[in-house]
Amino acid sequence: MSLRRTLVPVVSFVALTVVVAVVPLFVSEFRAQELAYVAIYLVAIIGLNILTGYTGQISLGHGAFMAVGGYTTAILMADHGVKDIWTIPLAGLVAGAAGFLFGIPALRLSGLYLALATFAIAVSMPAVIKRFEGFTGGGTGINLFGVPELTASLTPVSILGRELSFNDWLYYLSWSIALVGYVVAWLLLRGRAGLALRAVRDSETAAQSSGVSLPRYKTLAFGVSAAYAGVAGSLFAIATTYVNPDTFPVALSILLLVGVVVGGLGSLVGLIAGAVFIQFLPTWSQEVSKSPGAPSVVSGALLIALMFVLPMGVAGLVERLRLLTRRIYHRSGS
Amino acid sequence: MADFLQQVVAGLASGSIYAALALALVLIHRATGVINFAQGEMATLSTYVAWTLTANHGWGYWPAFAFTLAVSFLGGAAVHQAIIRPNEKGSVLRVVIVTIGLLIFVNGLVTLIWGGEVRAVESPFPAGTTVIAGVAITTADIGTIAVVLGTVAALWALLQYTKLGLAMRAAAVNPAEARLVGVRVTWMLSFGWGLAAVLGAVAGMLAAPTVFLDPNLMAALLIYAFAAAVLGGIDSPVGAVVGGLTLGVGLNLIGTYVDFVGADLRLPVALLVILVVLLVKPTGIFGKSEVRRV
Amino acid sequence: MTRKLVLTLLALALLLAAGATAALAATARSSADPGVTPTSVLVGGTAPLTGPQTAYASISRGAKAYFDYVNSKGGVNGRRIDYVARDDASDPVRTVAETRRLVEQDGVFAVFNSFGTDQNLAVRDYLNQRKVPQLFAASGASTLGSETARFPYTIGLRPTYTAEGWVLGQYLARTQGAAKVGVLYENDGFGQELLAGLRRGVLRSHVKIVSVQPYDVDSFDVDAQVARLRVSGATVFAVFASPKHAAEALKYAGRLGWKPKLTVGNAAASSAPVLAAAAEKGANQLVKGMVSVAYVKDPTDPRWSKDAAMKLFHKIVARFAPGSDVSDVYLVYGMAAAWTAVEAIRRAGTDLTRQRLVDVVGSLNLKGNPFLLPGIALRTGPNDHFPIDQMLLQRWQKGAWRSFGGLWTYRGG
Repeated sequence: MSLRRTLVPVVSFVALTVVVAVVPLFVSEFRAQELAYVAIYLVAIIGLNILTGYTGQISLGHGAFMAVGGYTTAILMADHGVKDIWTIPLAGLVAGAAGFLFGIPALRLSGLYLALATFAIAVSMPAVIKRFEGFTGGGTGINLFGVPELTASLTPVSILGRELSFNDWLYYLSWSIALVGYVVAWLLLRGRAGLALRAVRDSETAAQSSGVSLPRYKTLAFGVSAAYAGVAGSLFAIATTYVNPDTFPVALSILLLVGVVVGGLGSLVGLIAGAVFIQFLPTWSQEVSKSPGAPSVVSGALLIALMFVLPMGVAGLVERLRLLTRRIYHRSGS
Repeated sequence: MADFLQQVVAGLASGSIYAALALALVLIHRATGVINFAQGEMATLSTYVAWTLTANHGWGYWPAFAFTLAVSFLGGAAVHQAIIRPNEKGSVLRVVIVTIGLLIFVNGLVTLIWGGEVRAVESPFPAGTTVIAGVAITTADIGTIAVVLGTVAALWALLQYTKLGLAMRAAAVNPAEARLVGVRVTWMLSFGWGLAAVLGAVAGMLAAPTVFLDPNLMAALLIYAFAAAVLGGIDSPVGAVVGGLTLGVGLNLIGTYVDFVGADLRLPVALLVILVVLLVKPTGIFGKSEVRRV
Repeated sequence: MTRKLVLTLLALALLLAAGATAALAATARSSADPGVTPTSVLVGGTAPLTGPQTAYASISRGAKAYFDYVNSKGGVNGRRIDYVARDDASDPVRTVAETRRLVEQDGVFAVFNSFGTDQNLAVRDYLNQRKVPQLFAASGASTLGSETARFPYTIGLRPTYTAEGWVLGQYLARTQGAAKVGVLYENDGFGQELLAGLRRGVLRSHVKIVSVQPYDVDSFDVDAQVARLRVSGATVFAVFASPKHAAEALKYAGRLGWKPKLTVGNAAASSAPVLAAAAEKGANQLVKGMVSVAYVKDPTDPRWSKDAAMKLFHKIVARFAPGSDVSDVYLVYGMAAAWTAVEAIRRAGTDLTRQRLVDVVGSLNLKGNPFLLPGIALRTGPNDHFPIDQMLLQRWQKGAWRSFGGLWTYRGG
């Protein structure tokens, strides 16, 4: 049983990796870039899911932690000459520390009060960034296009003797990080920590009485989840080659929550679908109509319809399919 | 001193509008246990309905006002029946996402139908100003505060003194027992959604004559209303009103007297103050702490 | 045991990913400029079709309508002009994504008429390095047109915010004696640059700026700022704000009984119906006689009721953009931009390349854009990529704008 519990995810993961590795061979360079953004959103919503899906703490402010990561990368690259890929772990660390620190006062808040507290960060972030102009470039932001710290821009990058265009490079960079992040989250959540986090979500009182330290696990969840957001923000800055206060608006925080719920709360399976959804929703809805306002009408209706059809997100659908195939299998077996 | 009082008056007028929308959020939270992200956009839609009636169909302000309230009530109840109730099972976040979908949808719909241009909305109040001790108080300020307080009083009377109000409170507090004593719980909750839409419409129609009407009329207001509702205690109608007025006055005074802050940072600072309040009292000023069940 | 297995597989996966990349070869680019065929030329830009700035969506609508009109007359040099406006919801990140889509997927010949300061700045490096013309960026930020050496492919259209603020400052300096000015401005590039222009305009005059109050673009109201300006003792009220916030400020100032001399920026002046409402049927003394600047013909100005260009404007809207609000000055602005693009493409000749187009727009000297106020010329040079640097003062009289005086020309420096 234990072997099977491990084997199925590992085999599907390897299959996923192979698919991810070969996709750029079949799609245009531009499509590869769009898919790179899918990976970036994936990183962010894996992190948010650890906090919201597994620990039950609603955050409406993860865009702010992405901003911390994105600005860490941009400032390190533009002002301190650090190569882009080295800024990624640093961005994760800085955002993770910010999340951990925020998690300490947040211990006192629960439910909607916590949601407001996180929302407040997202709302305040642009104004705060503008105020510290000397550091952040103010409203104009920081442009990274063409700086030498960028591994690839218009000139292709050479890896293992082969040339990789900017878009393909972004694709492989983001997806490698997303896949590693996926495995790390999986390992974390299937172990003791995962058990403790779920106990906190299901009942804080019960968790506490069975010896789970609430402060420890809640702040841990905040820290880890913010670190993921920071890495995503860093990749966002590298991919967009530009950060400004409006790069990380309140809408981004809300969009990330949408991605988690569409993917499936408390499950890692559906998150890729969630990331695809939030990346392509604006594009799809524009294809329907370009009249002012019409893309929003389409997006909103689609989102509502999706909650009707997939109440548990894509993960719920996968689960239902799994049960269905098992039932068919058993019936044919008997 | 006159400067100070002027800011207080301006803050009370804006604050009463925050209070109306905050109260709508509180009603929804009592009925469904979520924050309705679409509350502001629904109010914007109501305001456009009123605007169309007055500007394009020659209605007077008050007939249009009354008609819009009725339409909003039905619309709010219909939203609950059609798209909220079917999504109530499972995680509470499912309903939250539905309201986010509704926010995006309604915002687009308003732009699609009426365009993105700024519209002028006729004010129901005469353009008079009274000057008391150097403080200019406009008729519109007084009218706005009066209408909001009147609406709140009416709502409070409805909830407190009528059978309907009792049934609504019962349905919100303990649906299972309410059902046992014959309360039609889902209809009561829809009624709550209808009332919330009415409050939103009041906020929108009072705000639009002063801040003008565009599809994003309520985008900023929703953040203020959310903060006001949480400051007062998300389950407390009184708290919403006090929270709204406090926030309105507080924002102005912070922007005026704390020099480092200035007008651009006043919202973050106000939110920070609210967070500190919440750390001291985690369920808001008037909120009751939840009973935790194992 | 399982952990080891996972780690091994993970390493394998990464290797695979790296291996697959090795199989890729860089795609070769064709030498001809994309987006041009013998019968068509494709241009595209971003526009706020959704989100907080949808009021400006009509710019792209007006431009599209004018191109459709030109195409119905046979196009330019035998080519039809196809114009795609993609929605960026005025979010610079989306601008980057949509602009890359236009360039890399749709293969546009040039980016045209993209809206917003931050939005245009976010893609400027990208477009210049790819040598894609960034035509007539819809923003007045000086930096878009002054760094011509670094960004030869970028060109604006409307006057800079500095120029606009400077003209208003000069007007105050010449007519208002020792006035004290209180300024309400949007706290971003747009408002800050207008304020800087105003400061330059009143330099070495008796006019003093006594109080400046910023507001954030997503603020609910600006009451607090107006109340502070009133008690600052200002005798002139300068409003550098979006149409919505400006109208609110005027209405509130009027209701407070404050009666300063009023000047408003061009953006705030754009919606005559809204200003008419702020005037409260003449009860608001403040609005009467206020002064602003203009460079585009306002469709509500009675002076243009018999003007041939404005008749054409109404005809084009009715036929190619039905349902649009004909009092919307941004429709006219969109047509003015499209007219300029058509003229530039015509002058670039039948052998249309990006380089030729950029050469033409980089040395413009064009008169007679019918949608601009009479006499305004479109001029650019090696150090100036802002075609319009002339404007007229206008005064609000009897519920409409009326221009007065001669053309003002800002010469930078």
